[in-house]
This record gives sequence, C-alpha cells and structure tokens, in this order.
Amino acid sequence: MRTDRLLVKVGKAVAVAAIALWSLFPIVFIVLSSFKPGRDIFAVPPKWVFEPTFAHYLDLWNRWQSFFDGLANSLIVTVGATVLAVAASSLAGFAYSRHRNDRLLEGSVLLLIGSRLLPPIVVTLPLFPVVNALGLNDTHLVLIILYATFFVSLGTLLMRVFIDQIPRELDEAAVIDGAGRLTMLRKVILPLAAPGMLAVAVFVVVFAWNEFLFAFIFTATEAKTAPFVISEMISSVDGVDWGALFAASTIQLLPVLLFVIIMNRFLVAGLTAGATKG
Amino acid sequence: MTLGSGAFGRCRSGSGLAEVSRGEVKAAGMGARLPGLRRATAGPLPLIAPVQLLVLGVIVLPALFVFWLSFQASSFGQSPTFVGFDNYLRVLADPYFWRSVGNTVVVIVLAVHPELLLGLGLALLFASGLPFQRLLLVIVLAPYAISEVTAVAMWRFLFDPDVGPVTMSLHSLGLPSLDWTFIPWHGLILIGLLTIWLHLPFTFVILYAARLAIPKELYEAGLIDGASRFQLFRNITLPLLAPAILIAMLFRYIFAFRLFSEVWLMTQGGPARMTEVAAVYLYLEAFRYNSFGTAAATAWIMVLISLLLAAGYLWRLRREMTLHAH
Repeated sequence: MRTDRLLVKVGKAVAVAAIALWSLFPIVFIVLSSFKPGRDIFAVPPKWVFEPTFAHYLDLWNRWQSFFDGLANSLIVTVGATVLAVAASSLAGFAYSRHRNDRLLEGSVLLLIGSRLLPPIVVTLPLFPVVNALGLNDTHLVLIILYATFFVSLGTLLMRVFIDQIPRELDEAAVIDGAGRLTMLRKVILPLAAPGMLAVAVFVVVFAWNEFLFAFIFTATEAKTAPFVISEMISSVDGVDWGALFAASTIQLLPVLLFVIIMNRFLVAGLTAGATKG
Repeated sequence: MTLGSGAFGRCRSGSGLAEVSRGEVKAAGMGARLPGLRRATAGPLPLIAPVQLLVLGVIVLPALFVFWLSFQASSFGQSPTFVGFDNYLRVLADPYFWRSVGNTVVVIVLAVHPELLLGLGLALLFASGLPFQRLLLVIVLAPYAISEVTAVAMWRFLFDPDVGPVTMSLHSLGLPSLDWTFIPWHGLILIGLLTIWLHLPFTFVILYAARLAIPKELYEAGLIDGASRFQLFRNITLPLLAPAILIAMLFRYIFAFRLFSEVWLMTQGGPARMTEVAAVYLYLEAFRYNSFGTAAATAWIMVLISLLLAAGYLWRLRREMTLHAH
C-alpha cells in the first residue's frame, strides 16, 4: 500500500515534468536562443548558460524594418477586430438570450452555427476579386472585418450563454425605471456580462494577432501583419537568419502569451461554454 | 481547485450580480403587463443586424457564389461559362486532389486521435489532483497563445535536418530522426506533431471541464459498492465523458480539415506536391493556377465534407434547443 502511494507520487511527478517539457520547451528554447550569441545558437548539445546579447534584436531592427511595421499593423487590426466582434456579439447575444421563442431568430442561430463550420479558405476565392474591386486590398479594414466575422458567431453564442445567467427581472426593473433599451443594455446588462465580453475578446485577440491565411491572401505591403513578415523570414531565399527569426518570434509571441496567461480563466470559461453550448 | 465551474463561479460573483438584484426583483412580476416593456424589448432585429450582416456578407453570400462558380469554367480575363459538373469531375479525376485528401485524412488520424487520448489522459490526471495544479494548467494552455507561424519557426528549427537540436540529440543517441525535407511521410509526421502541440490545450480544456462536471457522489457511491478504479473509469467516467469526447473530436476533425498554414509554411506541400492537404490544393488551384472553377468545386467538396462531419453535432444542438424552448 505504501509503495503503491509512492509509485503514484513518482508517476505524477514524472507526468508533470513531461507535460511542462512538452508545452514549454519549444517556446522557452526559441526565446532563450534569441538572446544567444550567434555561435551558441547551433551549439550541440544546446547551451543553457551563455552571455546574453541583443545582437539579433539590433539585427532585426536594421534589416527587417517591415517586421516592426507589421507589429503596428497587427496591433491596429487586433484592436479593431476585437472591438467590432465584442460589440456586435454583445448586442446579438442579448437579443438571442431574451427572445427565445422567436422562430425566425432560432433559424438565424442555426445559420450562425453553420457559418462556423465553413473552412475560411473557401470564402477567399470570391472575396479576393470583390475586395480588389472595392479598393480594400492591403488595408487594415479588410482584415478587421474578416477576423471579426469569423468570431461573431462563436461570440454571439457565448454572449447568449453569459447573458442567460442575468435574471430577466433586471431588464424589467430597468424599463420600469424608464430606461430605453440601449440604456438598459449599457447600464445593466453589459456590466454584468463583462466576463463574457472578456471571454470573447480573448478569442478574437489571440486569433487576430496570430492569423496567417487571410493576411497572406489579402495584404501585400501596407497592411502586412507580423505573422506574415515572420513567414517571409522563414522562407527567405538566402537561407534562414535564425537569430533574427528568433528575435522576431519572441517579440511576436510574448505579448499574446502574457495576455493568455493573465486571462486564462476567461479563456477556459469561453472554451467550455463555446464547445458545449454553441 | 475546480477549474471549469470555478471559472464561471468567479465570473458570476465578481460581476456584482447579487448586489444589483437585491432590491429590484420585487418589481419584476409586474413587468410583463407594462406597455413600456413591450416597447423596450420589441424588435430584436436591429440588435442582431450587425452580426447577421457580417456573416451574410462575408461568409454566406460568398459561399453561395462559390457554389455558382463551381459550375462555371473561369479564369482571369475569361468570362465564366456554364459547364455543368465538369469541374467536379475534373477535380475528382485529379490524382493530386486525392493525394491531398489522403494526406488530410492521414493528419487527422495521426494527430487528432492521439491528441484526444493525450487530452483525456491529462484531464484525468488533473482531476486526480496534481502539485502546482494552477500553474500547470497555465503551462498546458500556453501553446494556445502561439501563432501557427511562430510555431512553425520553432519546430522547423528544432527538427532542422542539419542544425536542429532535436535532430542532433536523436543522432547522438544513435536514434533516427525525421528527414522531413525529403521524405513526405516524415513531413506529415512533423506536421501532425506540430498540430497536436498547437491544439492540445483546446482538447484538454473541453475534456477537463466535462470531467469536473461529473458529481463526486457517483464515485463515492461506486466505491461503497466496492468498485475497482478500473470499474469506476469504465462505468462512470467514460460514459459520462462520451458526449464531450465526441464534441471535442468533431471540432478537431473540422479544424484539422481546414489545415493550411502549418503545411504551407513547413513544406509548401512539397516535395513534389507529396504533402499537400485539401486547403493547400484549393489555394494552388485558385491562386497559382488561376483555375477558379475547379477551385470552387474543391471548396464545395470541402464544405460538404465539413457539413457531413458536423451533421450529428448540429442535429444534437437543434434537439437541445427545442427542448429548451418547451
């Protein structure tokens, strides 16, 4: 019995170490490598102790100015898509939560769910000429609309779940007090649904900051996002400059990684509600 | 620390809902009879309009247009002409299409199923209690934050045939490594590993939340009846987790089916178009060969397969919604 317990403990410790190694090793290795002097990057076995240097970051600054433009573009697109998706999802989530027996609405929920199942690459084909014709090619706006659209359906369903937990009596009380619908939404519902809005925001921020396919197809120079620039560094014809690539990857991933760590409760709540309820 | 319910519980108590509702619930019963309420809640359409317009304009109408396009012969500078099922027949007769579908299936089988097993194992491990559980949960979630692009940068370096540290370590131990730039099969294995790494957080969270939702009393009752650990797993955990496992699997099938960036950035579908997946095939048809008709046909074949995969899920949801309404 005693040895059994010990075995379980040891087994768990091993499992914990394996989990941490699997999840963190690639991230930690690349972040560390971005501070290694050039010769140490390729050292076998890998060096864990080295003299940290910012040489690769300087290099990145001097030779890949487009990466920093890309970061600015990513930031604009991420903020825009998040605001649009959260605002639209909150309004619709409220409507779906409070109008349960409306047949038309129920049908439109199915449309929303169905739209989530469509592979995004399918719509690039017809949108490409349309975006060109409208002169929206290579703009922030086209990415903002695309990123928001691919999360408003999940966002709406999540907001419905969260707003369902707010008693209807509160709406009614606000209306008795003379509030119009928008005032009621702003003053009563949305403050209480803030955790839901944060959960939606986590999804959109992570997606918009990291997305590749749409940026690859719909941007060229002006609105090119950071992941797109990194992809160019990966497939650079004169061979990969690993040092600069690691520096760029580190700058790209640290903000969103910190964001996910801070918001992990909302991410978990969102994933759970999103998968089971919508 | 119970996480799934904890997350919600915290949200709710943090929202100050209790304080607001205290004085005002009394007034509620009268609400339905007040004319002001009708006005305030009438017309949900303006509220859902922004979402529906986005989805209609960016997803539904383009998808319908693709459907129309799939029956036309079309390229740059050529006005579309109706050709019936020609595009479908051409795609279905193209060995590259079948290879891309085959590769997609291989990645799904190779990645999604092991990932589900891993996710299930992790969920049960977390449910049984671990040291530093909260910290460990955040660590498991970490890859969720990583872009496919940076993930490819990491994994390409780790497994680089000439300088990659994982390759070097395997060689120095006398073990074979993945020769993924030359051997298509190895390329697919690497893509599969990368896919598991990126998506395990999703699978794990779904299964862990479902595991936490199983009432403790069931296990206590089982223990009192003298059930073994395996019997508890077999007769309580597994059947009660089955719906969550199914949902996680469907979502992962659907998402693995649209796999593009990882393959594009890792192998570009090469060598010699041997590692193409369905989305890469579509991209090449449309944007490299400018064959819009066959690309559209490919797109609709993908849509149909996705819908088939999801049909069970939609049906279940629909039933739940009607139950809810009654």
